[in-house]
Amino acid sequence: MTREVLSGNYAQAYAVRLARARVISAYPITPQTTIVEKLSEFVASGELDARFVEVESEHSALQVVVSAAGLGARTYTATSSQGLLLMHELLHWASGMRAPIVMGVVNRAVAPPWNIGADHTDTIAQRDTGWLQFYPESNQEVLDTVLEAYRLAESPEVRLPAMVNEDAFYLSHTYEPVDVPTPEIVDRFLPPRESHAVLRPGVAARLGSFTGPDHYVEFRHELARATEAVGKRLPEVEEEYRRFTGRSHGGAFPTYRAEGADAVLVTMGTTSTTARTVVDEMRAEGLKVGLAKLRMFRPFPDDAVRELAGSVDRLGVVDRSYTFGPAGAAATEVRAAIYPTPHHPLVAGFLAGVGGRDVTPAHVRRMFEELLGNPGEATRWEDLLPAEVGAHG
Amino acid sequence: MIEIRFHGRGGQGAVVASELLAQAAFLDGREPQCFPFFGVERRGAPVTAYARIDDRPVGVRTSIVNPDVVVVLDPGLLATTPVCDGLKDGGLLLVNSPRPVERLAAPDSVRRAAVDATAIAVAHGLGSRTMPIVNTTVLGALARASGAVSLEALGRAIDRFVPSHPEANRAAASDGFASVRCVDAGVPSSAPPTAWAPTAPLVLPDGPIATVPSRSIRTAAWRTLTPSIDLARCTRCNFCWKYCPDDAVELDARGYPVIALDSCKGCGICAQVCPPKTIAMVATEETAP
Ligand code: SF4
Ligand code: SF4
Repeated sequence: MTREVLSGNYAQAYAVRLARARVISAYPITPQTTIVEKLSEFVASGELDARFVEVESEHSALQVVVSAAGLGARTYTATSSQGLLLMHELLHWASGMRAPIVMGVVNRAVAPPWNIGADHTDTIAQRDTGWLQFYPESNQEVLDTVLEAYRLAESPEVRLPAMVNEDAFYLSHTYEPVDVPTPEIVDRFLPPRESHAVLRPGVAARLGSFTGPDHYVEFRHELARATEAVGKRLPEVEEEYRRFTGRSHGGAFPTYRAEGADAVLVTMGTTSTTARTVVDEMRAEGLKVGLAKLRMFRPFPDDAVRELAGSVDRLGVVDRSYTFGPAGAAATEVRAAIYPTPHHPLVAGFLAGVGGRDVTPAHVRRMFEELLGNPGEATRWEDLLPAEVGAHG
Repeated sequence: MIEIRFHGRGGQGAVVASELLAQAAFLDGREPQCFPFFGVERRGAPVTAYARIDDRPVGVRTSIVNPDVVVVLDPGLLATTPVCDGLKDGGLLLVNSPRPVERLAAPDSVRRAAVDATAIAVAHGLGSRTMPIVNTTVLGALARASGAVSLEALGRAIDRFVPSHPEANRAAASDGFASVRCVDAGVPSSAPPTAWAPTAPLVLPDGPIATVPSRSIRTAAWRTLTPSIDLARCTRCNFCWKYCPDDAVELDARGYPVIALDSCKGCGICAQVCPPKTIAMVATEETAP
């Protein structure tokens, strides 16, 4: 193991090199570009034995890796924002063709207006495409999660593609120390992909051909079962990773000081780091607050959410994206998950950090204070400019 | 924890400066967290970068609004950007400037430091006179003025992570370290106070479509070169008025051009198209107060 100062994007590229991906294809887009720039350097210098396929769009990039995955290769691509939206059609092909691709997505606001700041709308809009989705909070977690994602995605009972997301700038361009495992360790944790390839020279076969109502339902049901298998497989993969590296990140829905808490805030991505510091400050003042992190948004960790909800009376869910539904995406899912349970905590929805706006310790503290008071369940735009609250609130 | 905010322009190396500072602080055995924010990636556009250095992992992921140290890589930004916003009392303002440090416009409550990083960088062959790459020189000065990082670690970080001319960059950092000049907080500044037109709060229209005239977008902060017109030779052909992409050329009552400096981004197109070549592009720092 070495300890190096890496950006989130380089942590992602280092992980892909350690995973020995064989086919990489991508189209540049800020703030993702430095991931594939670094990977193309690794390929050019021979440090990574892979084909780097240059293409004319994100749509083509994903098609290249879908096809290569169909032939049994370990594959990687990366994108952001509008680039991910352009991939939308192929996202369904990737999951439906059971291609265990890993894709880095640097979460960036969707235009208009043009904005390259952190915002989860791009990936949240893809929540129904059958991809696993991880939202790490540190560069270390980015590197570790890419390696875990390959292991998980390639598990025979899963075989689904996975996105490992990074908040733009707060991770993608942030340099901080990261432990980089040795290739020998990673080779033992993540051996070459066992090929379940359908496509082989000399064997007549098809992926994604026509299916009528007679079998289409079963294909979708298979996808549902594969998705359910993730919940069981992730803890096993994390445990294996911990055995090799000494690190794990708490599964799909890790909690922090949530035992006996009067109010728990549910966060995604980098907001979690700031919120953890605020939890410590408020606990030191005698306020019983805690944190839970939606590390994985797809599949949604219903069981873990229900377990937490059984012991807390007030949950605040922070979404870094605006969706056009009854509440923020995560707030909606949390409510749906706990609906069948007997104990229903109050669930308050907060929108914060949209379009790269800072989620400061003061913002987090205010959310906790509102939650400990009497927030009601309406969604709050936590950080609107003061003038705008009056004008449009 | 020490919190540092950098103000520079795309192409000057502010982004690399924050990365190098992180690498150097790590070599000093500390826990850094450094990152830039930028909008349009255009040479000359203002860039802000942040650095936190602590003895344990940094537990906050936001930009820095109350820095201990502000570093200004381009003196021209002093005229267009309120760089001292939020700077703590007793904090440090470090500016790349050839001026005497007493002449830096800054609140009396902060320590001030100046280093002529442009001259040092040019002397070491780093960048050009109009676009010098001053980051390593300024980091050397920062090491001395703030103690945030050691010069020795900075030198090692340069050797490892600066791909071109590491020797010249290391020498420039040493010169920056040796030549930075400081004055303590409490010493009054002899500079005329910079009169900041307070930024009017943005009022969004009630309708769904915002009609923001391009003149209200202040691109002045992008300007490294400023057009200067010799009206004695101007023929009032109005080419400059027609070609300016930012609508920054106005005409006075007699038809002579007047540059609206709030909007002029310094692209130099007016100087290019002027038939008698009466428009000269001069370095913005020389036009700053
Ligand atoms: S330099 Fe000349 S053309 Fe360019 S923005 Fe300024 S006034 Fe307009
Ligand atoms: S282009 Fe030159 S000559 Fe023509 S109006 Fe402008 S400054 Fe005068």
